[in-house]
Amino acid sequence: MTSPTDADWRRALSRFVNVIPHTRELGLEVLEASPRLTRMRLPWHEDLLGDSARGLVHGGVLTMLLDTACGSAVLPALPAPEVCPTLDLRVDHFRPAVAGLDLLVEARALRVTASVVFTEGRVWQSGQGDVARAVGNFVRLGPRNTPPEFAQALFAEEDDHA
Amino acid sequence: MPEGIHGVEWLARTRDDRDLAAWFELMPYARRIGVSAQPEAQGEGLLFRLDPQSGNVGNVMLPALHGGVVAAFMETAATLDLMLASREPRLPRIVDVSIDYLRTARLVPTYARCSLLREGRRLANVTVTAWQKDAAAPVATARLHFVLGDPASHQE
Repeated sequence: MTSPTDADWRRALSRFVNVIPHTRELGLEVLEASPRLTRMRLPWHEDLLGDSARGLVHGGVLTMLLDTACGSAVLPALPAPEVCPTLDLRVDHFRPAVAGLDLLVEARALRVTASVVFTEGRVWQSGQGDVARAVGNFVRLGPRNTPPEFAQALFAEEDDHA
Repeated sequence: MPEGIHGVEWLARTRDDRDLAAWFELMPYARRIGVSAQPEAQGEGLLFRLDPQSGNVGNVMLPALHGGVVAAFMETAATLDLMLASREPRLPRIVDVSIDYLRTARLVPTYARCSLLREGRRLANVTVTAWQKDAAAPVATARLHFVLGDPASHQE
């Protein structure tokens, strides 16, 4: 396979988050993807609240979003797609995200070693400063533990619109 | 928002009544992922449960729960546990969370229990352990810091 372009990666990661029931149902959208950076948008929805009296987003939504974005950013950074579960994740909450605004997230893989991929990410809302940042490490299970369907599903031909 | 909702009196009353339903009412995301809680059979704490909903899946091949959903479950547990366990009625606001994933979380019920390791004047440290079929084989552990806000003056 020739090296995927950034547009290929955006389509591949869109498929990736669309196959994951939780992010598909929340309407997570991939805006941009490359070996350097992955950017996504989680549209505003009432269900994202964790304090509906004050109109604040559940902190766990940010953790889920950062886990998804960091885990997705791992894929373009690898020599070939590999299943990489989260080893650990640390999230710092600078301030609460507020109701009514989409959540934007970007993540990047900082370093790929033989066994681990080190990532970082941040979440913000339009017109506001960062609300959270994360450091997440992901385990490389290796090609032997990655089913061949995994890469095929990511780079399927564009015939699946039906 | 109207005064009185989620204020100091509301918090004190729901806390005295152990009215967890009133708390979940204000947490749509916790309801969406299917978090519930019940008093421990023994002791004073709470046992939390995450329903094995298909919408919580993060890996369809295994299938396995989304690690971020497990984290959100544990964060909900830590917040509610702290609201109940703190010396006075106070609103916890999360500062940071660190989660270690120990095993694949399958599509079966997940449970969690919390420990309040330290409650200072302004900050609290809570640890959470989550497991599925076997409490001795946790799927994840988490450590969280919270700022304890005075509900009367909490404005953000």
